[in-house]
This record gives sequence, C-alpha cells and structure tokens, in this order.
Amino acid sequence: MSRTEYIPTYVGTVTKYVFIDSPDFTPQTLVIRAYEISEGLLIKETCFGLQVTGEPEKVKNLIKELRTVDPTHIFVKDRGFPPGDTRRCRANLGGARPGYYGHEFESGLFRYISHGLKELEKNTAPTVTRLGKKKLDEGKLPLNKLVEIINNEEA
Amino acid sequence: MNEHPVRIAQISCGPEHSGVQKEIYDAAEAVNAEMFFPDVTLTDIRRSYDAFGLEARSGDLKLAIARAMALVEQKVEADAVFIATCFRCAEAATVRNELRRYIHEHSDLPVVSYSFTERTTSGTLLTRMEALTTIARRRALLAREKQNGTTMGIDSGSATTKAVVMQDNEIIGTGWLPSTEVMNSANGVIEAALKEAGLEMTDIEAIGTTGYGRYLVGEKLGVDLIQEELTVNSKGAVYLADRQHGEATVIDIGGMDNKAISVQDGIPGVFTMGGICAGASGRFLELTAQRIGVDITELGPIAMKGNSNVVPMNSYCIVFGTQSLVNALAKGSSKEDVAAAACRSVAEQVFEQQLQEVDIKEPVIMVGGTSLIEGLVHEMGELLQTKILVPHHSQYIGSVGSALLASGFIEEK
Amino acid sequence: MAKVFIFPATSLILSDMVERWGHEALGAATGIRERIQTPSLDSPPLQMTPEDPKKGLKYAAVEVPCGVRGRMAIYGPLIEEADAAIIINDADLSFGCMGCARTNELVMFMVRQQKGLPLLDIKYPETEDEGVAFVTQIKEFLAGLEGEINE
Repeated sequence: MSRTEYIPTYVGTVTKYVFIDSPDFTPQTLVIRAYEISEGLLIKETCFGLQVTGEPEKVKNLIKELRTVDPTHIFVKDRGFPPGDTRRCRANLGGARPGYYGHEFESGLFRYISHGLKELEKNTAPTVTRLGKKKLDEGKLPLNKLVEIINNEEA
Repeated sequence: MNEHPVRIAQISCGPEHSGVQKEIYDAAEAVNAEMFFPDVTLTDIRRSYDAFGLEARSGDLKLAIARAMALVEQKVEADAVFIATCFRCAEAATVRNELRRYIHEHSDLPVVSYSFTERTTSGTLLTRMEALTTIARRRALLAREKQNGTTMGIDSGSATTKAVVMQDNEIIGTGWLPSTEVMNSANGVIEAALKEAGLEMTDIEAIGTTGYGRYLVGEKLGVDLIQEELTVNSKGAVYLADRQHGEATVIDIGGMDNKAISVQDGIPGVFTMGGICAGASGRFLELTAQRIGVDITELGPIAMKGNSNVVPMNSYCIVFGTQSLVNALAKGSSKEDVAAAACRSVAEQVFEQQLQEVDIKEPVIMVGGTSLIEGLVHEMGELLQTKILVPHHSQYIGSVGSALLASGFIEEK
Repeated sequence: MAKVFIFPATSLILSDMVERWGHEALGAATGIRERIQTPSLDSPPLQMTPEDPKKGLKYAAVEVPCGVRGRMAIYGPLIEEADAAIIINDADLSFGCMGCARTNELVMFMVRQQKGLPLLDIKYPETEDEGVAFVTQIKEFLAGLEGEINE
C-alpha cells in the first residue's frame, strides 16, 4: 500500500509537560497562573498539570515563571509530540501510550526528589552517600570471607 | 462493508521504531479491522510480570506480558490477537512464543504471531489479518460440517490452480492445472471439473475462491465467498480427514509459502505462514525431480526407497540446496538417496521455521499438492514422531474447503 | 549551557533536573520532535520509517534486530552531539522509546565509549536520603560542566 505524504503541524515549536505534585497547589491553580502569563502560548490542562506548546524561548520563560509557584513540587518534561496528537491519544490507541507508564513510575519518586530539592534549598544538605553504578560483584561475599566463615563454623 | 470492524489487540515490541506500525494499520484496515493496545496500568505491569514469571528485561516485553494477561483475564475485550516482535531478537522470540501459547491455552481468541523486519509490508500481513478477522467474524460459517447442494470451489494458487464441484457432501468433479495466467488457468480447471461432474455452470448454486488469485477470480466470476487459504485449508483438511471435532494440526507445504495451523473444532487457533526461501517449499522438490530426471509424481515413491541420512543437504536457500543436489549426484549418490534427502531437507526447513510457532497437537494432517509426495510425508512424520494423516483429495484442499464453506450461502439466496 | 544526554532518554525527572539548572536535555523527545516536525511519508505514530533502521546501521550491524537499529537512529546522533551524559542505572521500568533492553545496553555502552564525555552514573532514589543524594549529585555534576564548556 502506498504511503501518503505527511505534513507536519506546529513546526518550530516545543511542547513541555508540567507536572505538579504539591500539598499546597492544585493543577487548576497552575493552569490559571499559566493562562495569566501565556502570551499566546497554547496551554492544555491535564490531570497532572498542563502541557504548553509554542515558540521555544516563550515556553522557557513561561516555565521559569510557573516554577516559582512551588519550585520543589513542579517538574517539567520535554515532549516530542504536540498536545492532543491523535497518534498518541489514548482514545485512539485503546490504551495508554508506552511513555505514560514511565511518567507513572517516575511520578512515584517525586516525594524523594522534592525532599532532596528542599534540603538543597536550605543549603544545609548533609554530606550524602553517592549513588552510582553497581559493579558486577558488588554486595557479594568475597571468597576469603566465605572461607573464614566455614572455618569458624568447623572450629 | 457495514459490519463493525473486528478489534485486534496488538501485543508487540519494536514495530513503531522499525517503521512498520503503519503497515500493520494498513493491513488491518484493508480487512475492516482495527488495531488497539490493551489498556493496563503500571500496577498491572508489575503484578503480571511477577505472576507470569518470565523475566524479560525489556520494558516493552514486560508491557506485552501485562497486555496478554489483561486479555486472558477478560479485563480488556478483543476479537483477535496479533503478536509481533523484531526478527532475530531472542528475548522477544521467547516472550512471543510463550504469550502465544498462554493466550491460546487460556482463551478462545484467535492469535497470530509474527516477527517483522523493516521490510515487512502490509501485503505480507494481509492474509494473516484476513484470517484473524474471518475467524472472529465468521464463526458461524466456519462451524459448517457438511456440504449441501451443488457448489464449486476454486483454489488459484501460486504454483497450481484447482477446482472441485461438490454435490450433497460428495466430490463429483475435479480440475487441476499449473498456474499460468490467472483467469485462463481458472477457466481451464472449471471446465474440467464441470465436465467430470457432468454439469453446466448454471447448475452451480454457490462458488467460493481461495489462494493468491482469489480476488481476481472471485470478482470476475462474481462468487459468493472470497476467502484466504488459512481458514479455508484448515476447514478443508479437518473435513476431508473426518477430524472436525477436537484438536488437529494442519501442515500445507505450498509452491511459494508454507502454512502451519493449529486447529480446534475446525477453526484455526494459532497459525503461521511464510518460508524464508523457495528452498523450503514445493518448488525445491520440483527442481529435485527435474534434476534426477523423473516426474514430480514419481519423486515420492523414489524417495521412499532411499536413505535421507547419507546425502548432506540443506535447502535453507534454494541456490545452495541445488548445489548440494548437484554435488551429491556428481559424487555418485543414488537418485533414491538424493530424492529422500531433498524431502528430508524441506521437512526440516518447515519444522524449524514454521512448526516452532504452533503447538503440534495430534492428529497432524498434511494437505496440498506436496502431501502426495510420500517421501516428504514420511520425513515429516519422522521429525514429528507421529503418523501423519493425508486425506483423500488432499491436493484439492483449498477447493474443497471453498466449496464446503460456499454451500453456507445457498440458503441465503 | 551544555547539551546533556539523559538515560533513560524518556526520563521525566532527568529532563526536569537538567533544564531546571539551565542546561539542555537531549532525550527521546528531541529525536521524536525532529521526526514529527519534518515532512515525510506518513508513518504513524512516531514518524519513524523503514529508513530509520537503515540509518541505525551506523551504530549496529545488520544482524541486530530492526527495532534496535531504529531506536539507535534516534539515540546515536544525540549521543554524538552531547557535551555530557547522565545515566540512571536501574531504569527497569522504562517503556516505548526505552522499552528495548538490547538498545539500552548499546546506548549505555556508546555513551561510555565517548572519549572525554563527562558522565554521571546514578540510580533512582528509594528513600528521602537517597533523594537528597540524587539531586545533589546531579546539581554538582551540572555545575561542574559550566567550567568545562567554557574552557
């Protein structure tokens, strides 16, 4: 079957998801604030916050402003698709797009990130244990230790 | 088409990133079906992954497991299931096979599984999608166990064209020709079948077509049923073998591609279709017959006298397969051994490429022109460790299945 | 401002962290946006066509599954373009563009192979204390990039 031509829309724009996970502000508060300062940007309300689409510089400024509402509880993610794109819409796919589960997973970690951001803000963050890449044998009992245990058992 | 689209649940990893999702959509649309992705939550994914117990590392395969379980547990409704993963991915192949088996065993949803490459087109997927929608849409028609009235079935295949005339559950006329120009071959076999039956075209109450040329022949003749060969051949096979109830496996090694179908009460449950190369098809056996200077009808009996183990042959590719053939003859191997080795080689290719995708349930029924080559049937039986059934008129399987199903349209007239 | 390749490329948290502290995150959205905003043959949903797995041949051999090569056609150029990278090592629940474990292994390897590319290896926080460690490490890493980029 021959493929038809694809003519893109929203060329030159960027879209960002803005998530709010705050005890003090609802997504609606955020959306109202966004509309106030939208300057012609496309704002779309969602259950987790909003999506904003438009010229990159303008979007950046809006995000900067929105973050001030609750800096440690607002999270922003870049998005490849414009809002409401039928190719990614749950109503057309029958189920959520795969990226949704990633959001679901990471939003479960917001509370730790928010805590970290608050500690950073206080500028009194204690020296932290670094989290890095686990080596293949990390956490395993070294051989000499095992031999020692066996010997002790036998003794 | 006024019917509701058939809803096919897609369980997959990779088609969006391989540029073939559009091909899947197109194939579905062509048969009035729509693809959808069963909706699950992250909690479902975690739970299903733990419950299913197959430790896939890829996120999309974890998601595939959750979607399959949602279908089996009937949390999501579907008419059929399409499982697709990348060709050459071992992890995905394991998951694909296990999910296919799991859905087949725990639900009555028809399933087709497929491994794609970036070259996969909607054309390749079309017959599979058509079969899925037929099973979902025409269960009542497929339940037909007896042929009524006077009907004709035409199988316009890639290598040969066949027709049968049936009357009151009996085959009363047959026609067979090598396929050349589609309509010429069809007209030729129709004439032969009618002549043998002693009937005129006006005596025929309903007609069905199948095979590669089904649309062309069907439209020219204004037939009642145009149907892909997967459902038609399974129906024909269990009908002729008198195994219409319970489980069965149908193997059809064709001129251009091969089919393996796992059947339950005459309705396909899981099926595969394909063949990497003509080396795994009837074509290679024709070539073998030519090389050893015998007619294709003599190849089977000759192969039965030979020993397939003494000649090394691997027809994974028809070019290399032919080379082994020539080499063996040059080294002085007997034509009996070479014929047997060729049968063995084709049986092995089908075994490795197709039969791994379906669960072999007895009886195993072989149909199509190649089922008349007894050497091939013997080698397949050896590989599967079972006695294979070859019903009478097995070379007319598509025509018989079409004539049988077409009789369902007589009452409607 | 540094271009920071993020892994998982679909990570919401990494996308946030990198841009919060003034840098540009290079992730799945970057590659998908480019395709979605370019006229071509219609190929929903991602506007990835069979040409993508062919472009992926630059990063993976022809015997590597097409889904891996297609994904590499998104990530390969981003990794080459990056000034730095952050890898979350236990990203087992990533889907879609990050849904293939084989691609993810290759992406991480390719990042580590880039000579002189500043790299932060990290894992997802599971406690509040780890949350502090997580954001502190990222902030310090990103702050350190300022000097390197300006040098």
